[in-house]
Amino acid sequence: MSRLKSIVVLGGVLALLVGVGVAWATTGATTGYPQPKEVVPAQKQAPFENRYVLTAVGSGASIRSGEMKFELEEGSSPQFLVGISQFYSYGPTGEIETGLFTFYPPRELKNGKGIGFTALKVGASAQYGQVTPDGELQLFTPEGDTVKGQLRLHGGGPWPVEFKVLGDEERYTASPPAARQIHEAEPNNPGWGGEASEYEGDYELVNGGTDPTAKAGTLGPVIGVAQGLGVKGSVVTAGSMTVEGNPAVATVELETGGTKRTLTLTDLAWQGDQRVAKVHAEGPDSPVVGHFEGTGGQGQVKGNLVAGHSVYKVDFQLKG
Amino acid sequence: MKTKFGSFASLLFLAAVGVLVVAGCGGGSSTSGGGGDFVAGAEAACTTANQKIAALGTPQQEEVTAYLEETEAVIETLHKEVAALDASGAAEAAYVEGLAEAVPILTQMGNAARSENFDAVRELSAGLVEIRLGELAEGAKLKTCAEVPVSKS
Repeated sequence: MSRLKSIVVLGGVLALLVGVGVAWATTGATTGYPQPKEVVPAQKQAPFENRYVLTAVGSGASIRSGEMKFELEEGSSPQFLVGISQFYSYGPTGEIETGLFTFYPPRELKNGKGIGFTALKVGASAQYGQVTPDGELQLFTPEGDTVKGQLRLHGGGPWPVEFKVLGDEERYTASPPAARQIHEAEPNNPGWGGEASEYEGDYELVNGGTDPTAKAGTLGPVIGVAQGLGVKGSVVTAGSMTVEGNPAVATVELETGGTKRTLTLTDLAWQGDQRVAKVHAEGPDSPVVGHFEGTGGQGQVKGNLVAGHSVYKVDFQLKG
Repeated sequence: MKTKFGSFASLLFLAAVGVLVVAGCGGGSSTSGGGGDFVAGAEAACTTANQKIAALGTPQQEEVTAYLEETEAVIETLHKEVAALDASGAAEAAYVEGLAEAVPILTQMGNAARSENFDAVRELSAGLVEIRLGELAEGAKLKTCAEVPVSKS
């Protein structure tokens, strides 16, 4: 029954998606989302019922461009807004990937600042009705035809976003124009600390989870591989890291279930407690497949290590 | 006559003892009767399956879909081979059932990977964890089937 419901919801969402690039519909959205528990006054929601194009976004989001649309759910009482967006993102190896998100339920932001929504990721296959929480979109009170806000996705952010309201006749036949990248202050000091002795050495993983493959028999390896996928942070069961060299390079060994993976981190940089690096799958000279963003200091480095389709949440402690 | 009667009685006694022995053999253990064949057959099938799984190694991101398809094929074959054996006890039947449950989940994981919905792949894999196939294999006294294959790369 729940699967049937999710397919119905997804069908409505996809119908709304078709509407993103076409003329403004006056009948409202029919997503099938249920009435939200929190009621947002109609006058607070009304200014956001529009079509938008993404004009600026924080560079950390790796989003090239995007379109978005908010409509009132048809037949809802009290009425509530539902949004859908199509974001074109830079993939880890440079290709453009398409991500579909719906925004529901709406809620008021504190101090009347605007309106916020849970960002729900829409899977590409309707067979699974995959509409899963993946972040948050906040839209601040519109200023003319500009709406600023902030976006959290895949456990990252918040990143600043800026949208332009599209007129009834404005539409894009292909993908929308590239949004301006808002460059945040990024760490640029080499290494992961002022002195090499602060961060060089052998680390142990201190946030290892239980091994989901332990009692899985022949299915163990496929579980290990699958548990290492996705953007929500893989279950790392064991790991280690060695940082050495000048310029410093980190070799990271990670285990998800029985699956072991070796990654190399280069271009280590720091600023305050921020720690970043580029991630390679096959040695420091191989192509970059992702990035590391986290915090560190006093022998600890922790954060999200992105490698292709996997995000590993790691917490390393320098061995005494 | 008395001798003939005595011989006949002896034969009856021996037959009765034989029946009791056979009946006794069938009662206490879940792996006896056809079970011995089941254990040997299942262990042989698992040895082959584990070797194939181990040979697949650890896939790179662009290889995940193919990896899942190949794993599904191996588990499907394993299920067919083990299901064709004469499972005689509840533990053996539970292991066969565990394999049967795994196949459609692997199909769904492969479909999700083809749609590049890797979060769904991961979420679906929780269904495989819940089967606890290794534990079911241990319960059926299938040592090789209980082992987690070690990938070669």
